[in-house]
Amino acid sequence: MIKFNNIVDSIPTIARTLLIILFVYAASSKFLDFSNFQIQLGQSPILTAYAEWVSWGIPILELLIVAFLSFPKYVYYAFFASYSLMIMFTTYIIIILNFSDFIPCSCGGVLEKLSWTEHMLLNVLLIAIAILGIVFTTNKNHKTNKLL
Amino acid sequence: MKTREIIILFSVGIFSSLTVIVLFLLSEHTVHRNNAFTRRYPHHPITKKYDLSVRFNSYYVSGFDGDHLYLGNKTAPLHLLEINLKTKDTNHIQLTLENNNFTFRSLKVKLKPPYFFIMDGTVPCIYRGRIGDWKAHLWMENYAYFSNAIPIDSNKVYISTTDSESLMTTLGLIQKQESDTASIFLNSDLLEKQFDGVFDVDGLMVSSSKSNSQGYVYYYRNEFMLMDSDLNLIKRQRSIDTIKIAQLQIVNIENSNVTKFNAPPTIVNKLAIMYEDLILIKSDRLGKYEDEIMLNEASIVDVYNWQKESYEFSFYFYDIGKEKMREFSMNDTFMIGLIDDKVSVYEINKEQFKTTPRNSDEIN
Repeated sequence: MIKFNNIVDSIPTIARTLLIILFVYAASSKFLDFSNFQIQLGQSPILTAYAEWVSWGIPILELLIVAFLSFPKYVYYAFFASYSLMIMFTTYIIIILNFSDFIPCSCGGVLEKLSWTEHMLLNVLLIAIAILGIVFTTNKNHKTNKLL
Repeated sequence: MKTREIIILFSVGIFSSLTVIVLFLLSEHTVHRNNAFTRRYPHHPITKKYDLSVRFNSYYVSGFDGDHLYLGNKTAPLHLLEINLKTKDTNHIQLTLENNNFTFRSLKVKLKPPYFFIMDGTVPCIYRGRIGDWKAHLWMENYAYFSNAIPIDSNKVYISTTDSESLMTTLGLIQKQESDTASIFLNSDLLEKQFDGVFDVDGLMVSSSKSNSQGYVYYYRNEFMLMDSDLNLIKRQRSIDTIKIAQLQIVNIENSNVTKFNAPPTIVNKLAIMYEDLILIKSDRLGKYEDEIMLNEASIVDVYNWQKESYEFSFYFYDIGKEKMREFSMNDTFMIGLIDDKVSVYEINKEQFKTTPRNSDEIN
């Protein structure tokens, strides 16, 4: 079909792959240590009241995004969803770091070892990836839309 | 198309972060706000004198002897700092132990003039010596483990410990009679279990030498109690807060035999001291018509008179910079707070901290 001799054309694919890896990893590490994850969320000063819902909701949402990322048809919306989720998470970290009495950590696996600044950098990077995905997918969709 | 996409990106971003901010504000609101009680703030119950730097933030209050304040140090357990609150003179004291062959884990030094006590409930052992002499002799060893202790008489120590049968936290006394052998007395009726009898009954032990009475203030419910010198219950009293049942969620983590809080507990009473008939409690909970901004600038201290069973008044104990007081204490003239590496010293207005005329003399 189309040859990816252009770097720009391959950006959405790279972004997709990276986000899929991240969300699969994040969701599965949460499910593997679920009771611990639930407790950590409950201790969070922001989410206490909603810990039960959120603890199921977040990993399920992550897997859902993965599913949508896997289908080319929905990739555009999946990028938006990833972008939104990452923004929420970043806001959460900023609030926790600056306005909260104490700092819990509910990240899964290796991510737990990251310092909060490293965490922020990673988040910003992922937001950037999602944005890149959005920007470059539209162009492609635009063309295909025209064809249809 | 391009600009439309940028607008969408921005609005999705703003909406996402707003959602989290709103969640945060909602939860802050439920934690701090309580419209069921109202505080009274009279003018100037305490007047700031000075802040004194003690260079370390590891100090805790060991006690008063007259106008001399003594601070113990967590990281240098046998070191005491003496501060003359009138002249600001400081003096470093090194304590010596006679025949010491223990390995200590959590030494605490507490004063009960004319004696001082060095206690470690994990060994367990208690040393006692005279203030000024600063040499301590073994007073009790290997008799009873305890988690917290304050000396209340020359031969009596008020403790909290774990009851070996019920595995619940219990208050008690270690005392020595003429015979020079230590004996222990536990009063397991004092702490009232609401959940597991460990987390939910956790609290602060306080004592007042002048009124010859002891107190216990729960962390997680609006209640404290008073005991006489033999640890018999005098009365239970409620604070102005409304939380009667500790708001705790405790879980056992599967496969690990560890018990943890499932949610941050609501702490009703954070710090407490006892001064004659008064119980002073630091609380972070806001009542009716109180400005939340104050919580960023000061600690709120509520004053109760347990003889009269009344709430008297409240006052602010101001932070230094962003640091709040982590411990406070008072004598007949001064109120002090430990804030970061400083001691904040206030003079009290004796009219306002006046206690009821001593009808308790008849009891004693």
